Amino acid sequence: MDVLAVALGALLAVAAVAFVARPFLAEPDAADDRLAGLTSAEQERLGLLERRDRALGALKELEFDHRTGKIADSDYEASVGPLRKEAAEAMKALEPLAPPAPAPVEKVDVRA
Amino acid sequence: MPGLGSAALVVAFGLVAYAAVAGGYAAFRGRRRLLESATNALFASFASVLLAAIVLLGALARHDFSFSYVASHTSRELPLGYTLASFWSGQEGSLLLWLLVLTGIGSAAVALNRRLIRTVIPWTVPILGAIASFFALLLVFVASPFETQIAPADGAGMNPSLQNPYMLAHPPLLYLGYVGLTIPFAFAMGALASGRADERWIIATRRWTLASWTFLGFAILLGAKWAYEEVGWGGWYAWDPVENAALMPWLVATAFLHSVMVQEKKNMLRVWNAVLVAGAFCLSLFGTFLTRSGVINSIHSFTQSSIGAWFLGFIAVVAAASTALIIYRLPLLRSRTRLESLVSREAAFLYNNLFLVAFALTVLWGVIYPLVSEAVRGVAVTVGAPYYDFFAIAFGLPLVLLMGIGPLVAWRRASLRAVGRSLLWPAGTALVVGILLLLAGAGSSPAGLVGYTFAAFVLAAIALEFVRGTRARHALGAGSWFVAFTSLVGRNRRRYGGYVVHAAIVLLLIGAVGIGGFGTTHEGKLTQGQSVQVGAYTLTYLGSEQRRAANSQELRARLAVSRGGEDLGTVLAGKNRYFAEQQTSNEVAIRSDWLRAEDLFVIADQFNPDGSVFVKVIVNPLVNLIWLAGLLFVAGSLITLWPDAREQRRLARRFAEEGALARV
Amino acid sequence: MARRRSPARLVIALSVAAALAIFLVYTALAGGTPSLRPSQVAGHDGRMSVAGKVVGQPSGTARGPEGLRFTIKDVEGTATLPVVYRGSVPDLFKTGRDVSVEGSLQNGVFVADKLVTKCPSKYTNKQS
Repeated sequence: MDVLAVALGALLAVAAVAFVARPFLAEPDAADDRLAGLTSAEQERLGLLERRDRALGALKELEFDHRTGKIADSDYEASVGPLRKEAAEAMKALEPLAPPAPAPVEKVDVRA
Repeated sequence: MPGLGSAALVVAFGLVAYAAVAGGYAAFRGRRRLLESATNALFASFASVLLAAIVLLGALARHDFSFSYVASHTSRELPLGYTLASFWSGQEGSLLLWLLVLTGIGSAAVALNRRLIRTVIPWTVPILGAIASFFALLLVFVASPFETQIAPADGAGMNPSLQNPYMLAHPPLLYLGYVGLTIPFAFAMGALASGRADERWIIATRRWTLASWTFLGFAILLGAKWAYEEVGWGGWYAWDPVENAALMPWLVATAFLHSVMVQEKKNMLRVWNAVLVAGAFCLSLFGTFLTRSGVINSIHSFTQSSIGAWFLGFIAVVAAASTALIIYRLPLLRSRTRLESLVSREAAFLYNNLFLVAFALTVLWGVIYPLVSEAVRGVAVTVGAPYYDFFAIAFGLPLVLLMGIGPLVAWRRASLRAVGRSLLWPAGTALVVGILLLLAGAGSSPAGLVGYTFAAFVLAAIALEFVRGTRARHALGAGSWFVAFTSLVGRNRRRYGGYVVHAAIVLLLIGAVGIGGFGTTHEGKLTQGQSVQVGAYTLTYLGSEQRRAANSQELRARLAVSRGGEDLGTVLAGKNRYFAEQQTSNEVAIRSDWLRAEDLFVIADQFNPDGSVFVKVIVNPLVNLIWLAGLLFVAGSLITLWPDAREQRRLARRFAEEGALARV
Repeated sequence: MARRRSPARLVIALSVAAALAIFLVYTALAGGTPSLRPSQVAGHDGRMSVAGKVVGQPSGTARGPEGLRFTIKDVEGTATLPVVYRGSVPDLFKTGRDVSVEGSLQNGVFVADKLVTKCPSKYTNKQS
């Protein structure tokens, strides 16, 4: 019984080490081992995308709140202008930063 | 096979330690293959821990008493369900469960988000690895479930009060909650470490946080129901440190769930959120520590179990490291957006947070104060229900009010006029309800009356929200009213699921106030045939009965119950005397009236030789609303958690735009 | 910009200070009944709570005329205190358990009307 346990344990350890070493075994000399981070341009783009989405989301909520009667017409008029402007600004700022070639939208497992 | 279990744990320890160290180096230096290797180590550690868990489960199922753990927590006559449940009934097993859940959901969270967050995952892996290393360290060096001994003929068995179906559900659900809070913590700290200023980690971990929070909340209520039925003193929450251990992280997690919404929409409160998520995680570790180390008995028993010292040390390290990281990244976290008005939804969320955190701190102080007092002054004190009740009311009532006001206030800036108009109908309803209740005699508990008025306000506000929303959708030409309603909820799951959860909390409040403020108690001796009137019920003592069960002698008093002349059957209350344990347990009779949501609670304290019985009878009005609230709570969370195809598509489009599909 | 300093910080700071003040004052004044050990009971008057371990054989019944009589001992020490309790007896009460009783000292005997057994971590095996 004990020998079996030791043998299985050893097998487990070997399998673990193999799995852990796999990336190195698969690419013994990788041309590019750098972790793809975000360049500052990409960071900026990301920030603008979020700004745009935040403004668009806020507009949608404003719309909804107005329709359900939570926001008075006057408040709506006052808020909708600046929000639209913010969204438009963000979208305008994004144009020159668009990625070079539009990547095909893969089926992504977007578990959010 | 204990050797295999130990080996599996050692391998797991090696793997998570590697994940922590190698992952940290890979993230710091930007090494792709090393990070992949560390991530693989995390995945592999789950397999290894799973193997160890299977070994333990197998030993339990086989009644292999050569395992010390099996011998000390089970016995041959213990039913299979409880035998398997003793996996988590003991110290070592529950630590193994923690590690299993941690490596499991940690691996899942990393695997599912690998392609989405290019720079957070490299830091999340070592953080998860480090946390797992602590538990693996304990399991390998301090509290191993695979200790062996000469197998005795039979095991020590399980404490009779644990042998009940709740034992099968409550601990695992609780641990799913506790451990689940690790995910938002690891991702948040990962985002900080990576220097990222964006919010994608919030979106990515939102469902994990929500699910953990739901499990934790439900587990707390399940535990309360267990205590209500099993310990049977007539109440449902005793503010016992063990209960508070789970409540504290839940309160802070609730605050986090709310304020993270503000961060997502307004890019504000980022430092506060980082502090909250670290606080929630530290409190969940603290909760595990409280229930595992025995420190609550007295500060003396603390030193008897070294586990306590290890936990405290680890909590200190986590708290210090989180604080250091937050301070280091303070410039990054400083938001550019300011709170524009004290009357806005952002402000409402802020107030909600303040009250929740204040309440959590109150509970924490109540738990710690006795220990602090004993350590510093040498005088132990006990902090009782009055302290907690005072603050539960002081902080709870404003929170309930905010639940009603918050949804009716707009973002950014709400004109008082608009708010006033929205509040008119719910406030009016509340006032009417309040007056009616006052006339019905609810003034006997002023706090209760106020609580009910607020509850009516919130429920009316929620109903108004649903009505207005459905009307608006219907006006857009959504078809029938029913279709308008379902499409409203379907398109705004977060909002309306949240309203359902709020309604559940209000229901809980109504039940808690009912049992706490408007109940009736009677204690007295009853001779055979004698009746007594308690509240609206009349009980008549019919006689006593005895029965011998497998491991106990059961003594019961049979009482006939009637209300307003209507016969409601009989109840049996009494005691069980367990032979092997030489212990007596109270078996209370609970007659639940679901229509009125109230319980008739009978405790047979003493059977006298002259045939009379001493009983304590309690009427708990509205208590069943508490359990109903638990179910509604889960339902509301499910609505919010439900995957939304449109939201997925929108996010997919956005991530495609960000070019985030490149491999790490 | 009209408001440079966000009101949020001020609100948070004031609230935190207020909350801290409230519950520190509360615990200092009203919160917490002193929990004494049997060895410390002697000089005290009035209502108090005593915590100790049940030793020997309890006698009598809690709802009977004589009440439940038992002795508690210092958890760390040898001082003992005789107790008479009237009320409901909680499940976990038995010799060897840590309990907390609330009441007052009368003629050298502690007359208690509240009895709480210190729930050891719920998940302990039979022996504890």
